[in-house]
Amino acid sequence: MRPTGIWFSSYAAEARVLETARARIWLGLLGAGLLGLPLVSGTWLLGEMTNLFITLIAVCGLFVTVGMAGQINIAQSAFVGVGAFTAAKLSGLGVPVWAVIPAAALASGVVSVLFALPAARVKGFYLALTTLAAQVMFPIVILALPMSWLGGLVGMPVAPPRLFGIGLGTPAGLYLLGLVLAALAVWTSYNLPRSRIGRAFRAVHDNDSAAGVMGIPVTRIKIAAFFVGALYAGVAGAILAYLLQFVTVSSFTLFASVWYLGMLIVGGLHSPLGPILGVIFVTLVQEGLHSAGNAILQSGSGLGGGAVFAASSVVLGLCILAALIFEPRGLAHLWTQTMTAFRLWPFPRN
Amino acid sequence: MAATGGAILEARALGLRFGAVEALKDVSVAIRPGDVHALIGPNGAGKSSLLNCLSGFYHPWTGAVLFEGRDISATRPPERARMGIGRTFQGIQTYPSMTARENILTGFHTQMTGGVFAGLFRPPGAVRQEEEFTARAEEIIDFLELEEDRHRIVGDMSYGLRKRVDLGRALALSPKVLVMDEPMAGMSPEEKGDIARFTLDIRDRWGIPVVLVEHDMDVVMDISDRVTVLEFGRIIAEGTPDEIRGDERVIAAYLGGETEAEEDAA
Repeated sequence: MRPTGIWFSSYAAEARVLETARARIWLGLLGAGLLGLPLVSGTWLLGEMTNLFITLIAVCGLFVTVGMAGQINIAQSAFVGVGAFTAAKLSGLGVPVWAVIPAAALASGVVSVLFALPAARVKGFYLALTTLAAQVMFPIVILALPMSWLGGLVGMPVAPPRLFGIGLGTPAGLYLLGLVLAALAVWTSYNLPRSRIGRAFRAVHDNDSAAGVMGIPVTRIKIAAFFVGALYAGVAGAILAYLLQFVTVSSFTLFASVWYLGMLIVGGLHSPLGPILGVIFVTLVQEGLHSAGNAILQSGSGLGGGAVFAASSVVLGLCILAALIFEPRGLAHLWTQTMTAFRLWPFPRN
Repeated sequence: MAATGGAILEARALGLRFGAVEALKDVSVAIRPGDVHALIGPNGAGKSSLLNCLSGFYHPWTGAVLFEGRDISATRPPERARMGIGRTFQGIQTYPSMTARENILTGFHTQMTGGVFAGLFRPPGAVRQEEEFTARAEEIIDFLELEEDRHRIVGDMSYGLRKRVDLGRALALSPKVLVMDEPMAGMSPEEKGDIARFTLDIRDRWGIPVVLVEHDMDVVMDISDRVTVLEFGRIIAEGTPDEIRGDERVIAAYLGGETEAEEDAA
């Protein structure tokens, strides 16, 4: 619910995400803080943040495909891979970064449509299997192509990004690239639900037979949902390629796709806030586990790295289970509930 | 054969079979502008089959469906929605995760423009269009008295309210004819009264003719201009409510008894 004392005089004002001057100021401060971070931060934190931005962009894409349109997709990591290989290939040809990123997005989008064409005819479990096929086929196809195309088993080097003559290959440059594109991803995923096509996605999710009778072309909308979700994945892949400086198929696993889905579920499937909260929460848990794992490894307890890796998967699984059991609408819903309770205090929230 | 003159939606000599069951046999109905036209009949009489032929879910084996004089028998439901045949559903078929207003806005899908790009980047044109259609959705919200509930999630609403949202979504299609499948089933008398009032207002204020299937005879007789009675897939009577009330075959069909004529013959 809204805080009291907020009134609108136009529908456009009502549709704004940031309703109050105070909210806009807070977001401005957050943006300034994030932009200024490279001035004060070390390389390690910048790298971590860049990774977080990349993950956030990929999960924003899943929010569109899975959260809004209800089309289960366990191939997001493969679509990230398509973006990464496209970026690697194009950067090798000397294409500038401002052209590489849209091209990577588009390449992922087009590949996703190939899989969405059959996927649009099946639902639920069968759809999950169809997207799983995309994930499994991705490395097979890359390895089967001639070495000179996409590097095959060896992988491909990525030329450092340059924008208007400025090298962005430094940790700070990559961080800023990630920040700007993550902001774009968040902004667009807040825009979609208030648009014609976004409502069509959600209508197809909620009741596809009724949507069809209401004149919404269900199959085309499902394909569009895959396409849009993969656009985000392509952008994420391009930044990841620049960050890794070398892309191989082994970076884009089914495991990563499941992590992306897990983050979305923990954060909340039904709100654009979900990807943000989910990615931050799961990344913090992962980092906490890594530190704890390192401490355990160094303490000489006899536990190997395999056990620590397994433990982090178990903890992610527990997070997803806990989210599904206790709060299926995720952290985003928890957040709105808390805000509502806070605004209604001292009256009870019903 | 029903008269063609001025009918907006017409079924002409429809025949439909499911295996050995003859769901519709030589059924002709003409929906005239300005009418609330009720289809009634006992269970299994073919009312829903007829309705589904009109809205494109079923394709009749014989005969034709005409809309504004054009044969539309081969078209599918989404095309018919675009042409201007709006429909509400039996039971609950709204979008439960969306608000009442968003549900109604989805009804404008075919009238709005803008695809992926407009959705992602919200250019000024898209914002203007959103504003324009939000205002139109608000007219419907105002008409259906949903002001208090416009931002509520439809999944949390009562049955009666959800049916109203369903109606609002159908009105958003700006239909030239509205097909309603049991709009009052399972409602309290107050809710039925509301829907009856809305139905008459849709006819009078919005100028949209209504075809409806309904079981509550009192309501049907009160609000209909024309009534078509079906039994075993055939039309057994058609006329004004007063004519239908007095029709022997209709009484027999509903009471399951024999008509006086049959009794006399026996």
